[in-house]
Amino acid sequence: MVVRALFSPPVLISLVVLLLAATLPLYVSGYVLGLLTIAYYFGVFSMAWDLLFGFANEVNFGPSFLIGLGAYTAGILDSLYQPPIALCIAAGVLASMIGGLVLALPALRVRGPYFGLTTLVAVLMLQNFVVVAAGLTGGEIGLTIPDVISINDKVNYWIALGFMGVSGAILYGLTRSPVGLILQASGQDPVQAGALGFNVTKHKLAAFLVSAFFSGLAGALMAFYLGAASVGTFIDVTVGVQVIIGAVLGGRRTILGAVLGAVFLVALGESLRPLGDLATFIVSAVALVVVLFFPAGLLGMVKGVREAT
Amino acid sequence: MQFWQILIDGFAISSLYALGATGFTLIFGVTGVLNLSHGAIMVAAAVAAWAASGEWGAGSYVAALFGVLVALVLALATYYLIVRRLQLSRAVREEEKEIFILTATLLWGIMIQEAIAYLFTNNAKTVLPIVDGVVRILGVRTPANEIFTAVVCWATIGILWLFVNKTLAGKAVLAASMNPRGVTLVGIELKTVYVGVWAIYGVLAGVAGILLGMFLGVSSYSAGPLTASAFSIVVLGGLGSVSGSLIAAYVVGYLETLTAYLVSPAYRSIPALLLLVAVMYVRPRGLLGRR
Amino acid sequence: MPPGQVMRREDKAFREDRLTPQQTAPRIAALLSALGAGVAACALAFGSPALAEDKAPLKIGVIAEAQAVVGSSIPQAAQIAADEINAAGGVDGRKIELVTYDNHSSSAESVRAFQRAVNEDHVNAVIGSYLSEAVLALEPWSGRLKTLLITPGAGSDLISENIAKDYDHLKYTFHAYLTSTAIASFVCDSAKDMLVDQLKMKTAVVMIEDAAWTTPYNTKLLECLPKIGLQVLDDIRFSPDTTDFTPIFNKIEGKKPDVIITGISHVGPQPTVQWKSQEVPIPMFGTANQATNSTFWKDTNGAAEGVIYLAASGPGVAVTPKTLPFVDAFTKKYGNTPSYAGYTAYDEVYMIAEAVKRAGSLDSDKLVDAMEKTDYVSTIGRIQFLPKGDPHVHALKTGKGFITGLALQWQDGKQVNMWPPDLAAGKLAFPSFVKIAGAK
Repeated sequence: MVVRALFSPPVLISLVVLLLAATLPLYVSGYVLGLLTIAYYFGVFSMAWDLLFGFANEVNFGPSFLIGLGAYTAGILDSLYQPPIALCIAAGVLASMIGGLVLALPALRVRGPYFGLTTLVAVLMLQNFVVVAAGLTGGEIGLTIPDVISINDKVNYWIALGFMGVSGAILYGLTRSPVGLILQASGQDPVQAGALGFNVTKHKLAAFLVSAFFSGLAGALMAFYLGAASVGTFIDVTVGVQVIIGAVLGGRRTILGAVLGAVFLVALGESLRPLGDLATFIVSAVALVVVLFFPAGLLGMVKGVREAT
Repeated sequence: MQFWQILIDGFAISSLYALGATGFTLIFGVTGVLNLSHGAIMVAAAVAAWAASGEWGAGSYVAALFGVLVALVLALATYYLIVRRLQLSRAVREEEKEIFILTATLLWGIMIQEAIAYLFTNNAKTVLPIVDGVVRILGVRTPANEIFTAVVCWATIGILWLFVNKTLAGKAVLAASMNPRGVTLVGIELKTVYVGVWAIYGVLAGVAGILLGMFLGVSSYSAGPLTASAFSIVVLGGLGSVSGSLIAAYVVGYLETLTAYLVSPAYRSIPALLLLVAVMYVRPRGLLGRR
Repeated sequence: MPPGQVMRREDKAFREDRLTPQQTAPRIAALLSALGAGVAACALAFGSPALAEDKAPLKIGVIAEAQAVVGSSIPQAAQIAADEINAAGGVDGRKIELVTYDNHSSSAESVRAFQRAVNEDHVNAVIGSYLSEAVLALEPWSGRLKTLLITPGAGSDLISENIAKDYDHLKYTFHAYLTSTAIASFVCDSAKDMLVDQLKMKTAVVMIEDAAWTTPYNTKLLECLPKIGLQVLDDIRFSPDTTDFTPIFNKIEGKKPDVIITGISHVGPQPTVQWKSQEVPIPMFGTANQATNSTFWKDTNGAAEGVIYLAASGPGVAVTPKTLPFVDAFTKKYGNTPSYAGYTAYDEVYMIAEAVKRAGSLDSDKLVDAMEKTDYVSTIGRIQFLPKGDPHVHALKTGKGFITGLALQWQDGKQVNMWPPDLAAGKLAFPSFVKIAGAK
């Protein structure tokens, strides 16, 4: 089943797009590369969210909790002790996964709005902690990270593209694998899945950890790309909303669509930057229109949404 | 001496929290919507009142009224443009509607917040106080505004209670929160009830926003934290329970005040958050939650 | 089940049409074409053609917090300077072009803006931010991308101390505003004249927000206040997003100091408003950057009465012959007086222009050498940078003949200068609820 999935149309098309994207640095300006680098990291954030929501049917309202943990842990470690970058990133991923575990435990015991609220509360707490422990974290305005992975925009671009490609492959492969089907089943009808003998909680927990892994890793990598971390870029609720909208815009339950949505949103935000004050307003308005009128998203409309049971 | 200070200061803050949380929980209890644009509506009311008195020279009463009106309009807009649209949507599955409404109200809140920042900058604004000067209570010098805040909060809550329990319209609202189908069976239009509830919510949020603006000041940045504080309190008290929210508001308000006075002002929000974490782990339903 | 949703059986079996493969393929093709067109459009729109280098414009990037009252003046003031210079013929025939970026008060966004400015818009220099945290995040990037960075308002001593530690990499950054330590010295200098000598005060409580710029400020205050005769009874630091100051003021009142020495900037006008509404009987003196804005009176509904704050500039105060003409030009164009960072942003465009003339080129390393030789009479005083070898290299020279600072008090809706004595325009006056110990 996995092998057949490897040669399905969506995968082949994605491979073509990836190859095309890899050639961009040859003829596109450094600015666009920088923009796309950020977009690719957001693509991973959105894909990780889609795994959790689209397949485990758990709406995580605070993806920025996991992202922020990864980014800030890596950044703080570097600003304090300057160990090798790989170590900082590993620490960030670990922190994010522990965070995912801590979040999953109460969250999986509750249903409906409580789950969303729990995840939202987690974001708030992290935000509060960062602000109060300003001496350690740089507070509201931000943390300076002494090292960056590279200052060459082409190198950074390829790192982000490669990372996104590999993450996408893993996440997509997961959803098409037996594990993924179990996740989808337990997400859509936990009672029946349980009756068939699957440990629903264990699988959802696994989904949480996978989502945390990728969110934290992408967050840490992005922090080392920017050389700075701030609440507004990694932890704020608006970041989480951007991640969610990216996935919704691209099409929930498609994984690949999340990248489309993320790239679109980042491009939209940047292209509106000259408007300054109104940019966020317009992006939110566009996102609102999407949520209200096109909830199936881009890929959802193209592929035909799978029926509800 | 400090004991009385803590008591009075805590009471004023808690009353403010209570009023803000009451609106939030009312909407959830009756319509099932967690309105994440709550803080933004409160800030909008306060900034509107500030603009009316500061930029256009209105008196403090007129400005306050204007602010409440703005909140009312925004609340109804939230209902008609967003909530109703999503609730009637055929493109979204039932189970996912809540999530979509949550996301949509969050986006709407961000839009309001950014519009305020664009029009008026993100600098903090203080609404012209209706009541001025200080009074001495038990040797504590308290701004009269604080007393006014507490009084208005409780008056509003009292009126709400009277409305819900003693009037027919109010009882319809109460019934709708318990059994919407039953309400339609008795011949009452659910839509009318909802519009009414959102209108009441608008007034509550507006009054809370203006009082907050007079007492502590607001800025476009306050919108997020205000929403967060409202639903933290509501979760603590139990989603859908107004009395639970009231109790929780006082618990949180006093926890914060005690921390600010006895430990350090820098840590004032920590104990409440820790309490929230504990509740999420141990009793996610909250104190008096029903669902 | 959430209330308000009447259960409809058919909704549960709700389904959307499933597309056949024949219908899917053209849709995917259309989507890909749209995407491809989109990427191509982006590349075309954002890719910039190479420009001939001789007599290319002097491009200056301006990164500021456009929604903050202090930050909004930065690009506005810079524009006035650019217009003035261009009207007089430009810089050796080059026109000045400003490219502005809003960093939304975030250091990560500042970094992105800086990267965009250098990589895409090819600016020759950047005027950046009044927030210390943002400037500290930009500093390493000015070194990595070898582009001049000059700040109009940040205070942290670390900015210049970092350059001293790694001169070769970080020499591109210039700290063209008072360091926190310098500001604290001015507080002590002015407090000695106004509070100790005139008002015979003896004790103080220090009330400061917790931010990057305040750590060295706090340290210096604790060192210099006792030296001028003010005993420090307590040192209170609070989070910049505090909204309720009642416990803080109560605590301060309990210690019964003669004055509150402030260090507030990001926290906004709340402390001032609540100071008045609680009728705290102790005057406030020190750094209160919000108070430098002409809108402060309205923002606080008049609670600003009696607040004394330190600044490098003030309305109606002719620190140098250039000060008032600039203020007039700014007020005429924008309708309000400039924030404190506006003065310095205006000066910095001139200083960059002069450096370009001195260097005779737009090369960054030559510009750095030329900037170091700056000796410019600006709107806030005479500007010279501390040289290589100084622990605060590239910070401003302060003291008599250079920058001395002012102390102003809000009276009746106006900001009136009180210090230094030769520039004073009025006498100290406090609201009725404030009790001044000592003098009567």
